[in-house]
Amino acid sequence: MATLTLDALNKRYPNGNAALLGIDLSVEDGEMIVIVGPSGCGKSTLLRCLAGLETISEGELKIDGERVNEREPAERDIAMVFQNYALYPHMSVAENMAYALKNRGVPKPAREAKVRETARVLGLEALLDRRPRQLSGGQRQRVAMGRAIVREPKVFLFDEPLSNLDAALRVQMRLEIRRLQKRLGTTAIYVTHDQVEAMTLADRLVVMNAGRVEQIGTPMTLYQRPATRFVAGFIGSPAMNFLPLEQGAAGWRLPGGACLELEGFEGRPSSLGVRPEHLRESDAETALFDVRVELIEPLGADTLAYCRLDGTATPLVVRLDGARQLDEGERLRLDAGIDRLHLFDAEGRRLERRSLDHGRAPLLPLSASL
Amino acid sequence: MRYRRPGLDLLSHALLLLSIAMFLFPVWMALTAATHTRAELYTGIAPLWFGGEGIDNFIAVLRDPVGRLGVSVSQLLFNSLVMALGIAVGKIVIAILAAYAVVFFRFRGRMLCFWAIFVTLMLPVEVRIMPTYQVVSDLGLLNSYAGLILPLIASATATFLFRQFYLTVPPELLEAARVDGAGPWKFLCDILLPLSKTNVAALFVIMFLYGWNQYLWPLMITTDTAYTTAVVSLKQMATGGDNLVPWQTVMATALLALLPPVAVIVTMQRYFVKGLVDSEK
Repeated sequence: MATLTLDALNKRYPNGNAALLGIDLSVEDGEMIVIVGPSGCGKSTLLRCLAGLETISEGELKIDGERVNEREPAERDIAMVFQNYALYPHMSVAENMAYALKNRGVPKPAREAKVRETARVLGLEALLDRRPRQLSGGQRQRVAMGRAIVREPKVFLFDEPLSNLDAALRVQMRLEIRRLQKRLGTTAIYVTHDQVEAMTLADRLVVMNAGRVEQIGTPMTLYQRPATRFVAGFIGSPAMNFLPLEQGAAGWRLPGGACLELEGFEGRPSSLGVRPEHLRESDAETALFDVRVELIEPLGADTLAYCRLDGTATPLVVRLDGARQLDEGERLRLDAGIDRLHLFDAEGRRLERRSLDHGRAPLLPLSASL
Repeated sequence: MRYRRPGLDLLSHALLLLSIAMFLFPVWMALTAATHTRAELYTGIAPLWFGGEGIDNFIAVLRDPVGRLGVSVSQLLFNSLVMALGIAVGKIVIAILAAYAVVFFRFRGRMLCFWAIFVTLMLPVEVRIMPTYQVVSDLGLLNSYAGLILPLIASATATFLFRQFYLTVPPELLEAARVDGAGPWKFLCDILLPLSKTNVAALFVIMFLYGWNQYLWPLMITTDTAYTTAVVSLKQMATGGDNLVPWQTVMATALLALLPPVAVIVTMQRYFVKGLVDSEK
């Protein structure tokens, strides 16, 4: 159990490549932080810096208020679960789990008792004498978890631990990791590129892009009020639709001709974002979008319709009820509530409504005309 | 063989038997010759069946000093064994450490070191025999076990083999070990060595045979017959000078000199095959 503080962390490789640029993060005791981002965004590098497997170029890393930049991984009192598990192939499950304790000089009886206790928690008792190659993917994953838990570290570090498992097992292990982490109350940092994992596991979510933190917040905050266009596009599946805005005589023009009157926003909007699941069919003359369905993906509960704004090439994805029968080429009129629309400026920053900071947002004048 | 045809089977078995006979015939000749007296061997006809001496010749060469050499074959075998084991074990230990350094440590001139080691493949002992002799002689190591072993103890081949194996070890294994608190020595001893058991077994066989079969180097630096090896002594025994060559003694010594390498191959082969069958990785 520990707090973790990252203060302006930088990582530059000797060849001049910068992998991390000024990462600030403060992790509470017992918190589960999930770091997401596209591949190459620096999330794994960040985790490896925390583990001590990579050196930190600048900035400070504190565990429980103590600077640990220069400490070896073993001295930081952290445990790491690797993507490919990294179990020692020549050791039995019990030996794998006991190895770290052995290196710390824990006497054999205490070691064995701890391994047995951890194995019981994880349901590994029957497998203690097996070698890793005799285990299935899920069991190996569990052993890797056991190896981390048995040491009772201050911080767990997870490096995409579920990406080698099949879909069903992934869901099961996801729940198990969450349950275990809550039960043990250990601070945890979890790196993934899977946003479902990210949303479900995180107390707080860190979205990274190109070595920088885009936004930190609870999963619902990130979903409802993404701070940047990047976060808006990254969180949520299918991704948010973005439409360019142009200033016209009657307000802000969308491709296809609809006009929006936008008031009360700070700054100058350049694009409009709306999530596929927040679009709904509308008969109203004032519907925002007139679209033509191009392709349909029925998912059972929902149907995804890939559309284009009528008369333009601008794509728009909409998630409709699974019961709705759709034909390709069909025309739809779609609308979304004003509170479901996100506005971003030319730099991709979110434009907030001025009054939103103080309690309820008032209804804004919005009209659409064709 | 994928095809199951009686004719083909017969042919392949015949070929196999023929090859076995070709390889075993000299051994058979040596075995039968070693059981005769010298006088019987000089009658002009090579005997292809056992003579009356039984194992007496073997016992004699093992116990008593042989001819002009002045040392018994036991001593020769012991010398060979020390040399072969020294070379095999030394080569493996040095290769493991060198490969470990080259693969797992980042230091200035790492690749230079690797290529320098690699280039020595082009310099076997026969090529560098004069300077090597000079060095060993200056160090006062002529006629000593150290002199027999040291110049042959480093192996680029073995270093290269271990390097290739280490490169296949997933880097996460090293990272997991670091997180688990294993320093460089512990990682080598607890993780890498157990994983490379089969490589060690294979190399031991090859390097033991290499050491056992050395001829030129031991011939150069051992003037004192107390340090002569079995392989070198065979040549000396078979050159009779003014006397008749005691072929029964030569044959008995040759057969005895065959035994240790055969024993090494037979015992190590098991680990070798086992390692191939149930791979640890």
